[in-house]
Amino acid sequence: MIESIVSKLLVQNVSQYFILSFILLGIGLFGMMVRKNLITILMSLELALNSVNIAFVGIDRLNHLIDGEIFALFTIALAAAEAAVGLGIILSLFRLRKAENVNEIIDLKG
Amino acid sequence: MLNQIAFYLFGGISIICGLGVVSASNPIYVVLWLLGALIAISGIFFSAGAELLGALQLMVYVVAIAVFYILIITAVPWRKLHKNEQHNRLIGVTVLPFIALLYVEAFIVGISGVSITKNKIIETITKNYGNAEVIGIKLFSTYFWAFELMSVLLLISMIGAILLGRKEEKTYD
Repeated sequence: MIESIVSKLLVQNVSQYFILSFILLGIGLFGMMVRKNLITILMSLELALNSVNIAFVGIDRLNHLIDGEIFALFTIALAAAEAAVGLGIILSLFRLRKAENVNEIIDLKG
Repeated sequence: MLNQIAFYLFGGISIICGLGVVSASNPIYVVLWLLGALIAISGIFFSAGAELLGALQLMVYVVAIAVFYILIITAVPWRKLHKNEQHNRLIGVTVLPFIALLYVEAFIVGISGVSITKNKIIETITKNYGNAEVIGIKLFSTYFWAFELMSVLLLISMIGAILLGRKEEKTYD
């Protein structure tokens, strides 16, 4: 019984990569919602972006494809662009409005 | 077998570090947890045979993007930080069922099944030449225009970041 479970766990399949990817995606999404500070929201976003890369690499690994890794490459480039622009926005928000939390940006009365 | 043990080790580290990213209150600790998660994810890439992607993850994420975040943390003074609560508890409790709904959807999709056909040609090329060569060939033939568009996007974001980060005389208080 236990041996069969262990031997099943030691065989690689796609669903393990998908489960890990979904756990990390959920953690990242939850962090984006629950955080108040702008910089930590962006960090949770990075975690969610990385979780998608794990799913791409897992598919590639077990089906001998290469396209998923190229898409993961594009995701990394996109994350770099997003971090540059997002951190620029946070910096100017702080300098112009002295705001560093999401609940302090209330100019539009939302 | 060894790959699988490495996968479980790095996966466990990345999940623990992810929980740290969500729950830690000091932003410096959040950066450190994020660094741990990114290094663990690059370990997963290496154990899955994606050497180029793992090396790029280490170079781009762990070095460049983490330095961005530390730079911004030093640029923003944190006097208010210790007074304020870092988590929005009400929103957190409200959002949890929706995250659970995401997992239910993933479970349903996983049960209904998705099929992918294996590619024998790429398997033989990868065995003969390695990972990076195949990615280079694909990147400069099939995905050439996407690659060029990505470089233009990076240029635009760089110009935008410089424009956003410049000094202005007037402040709106």
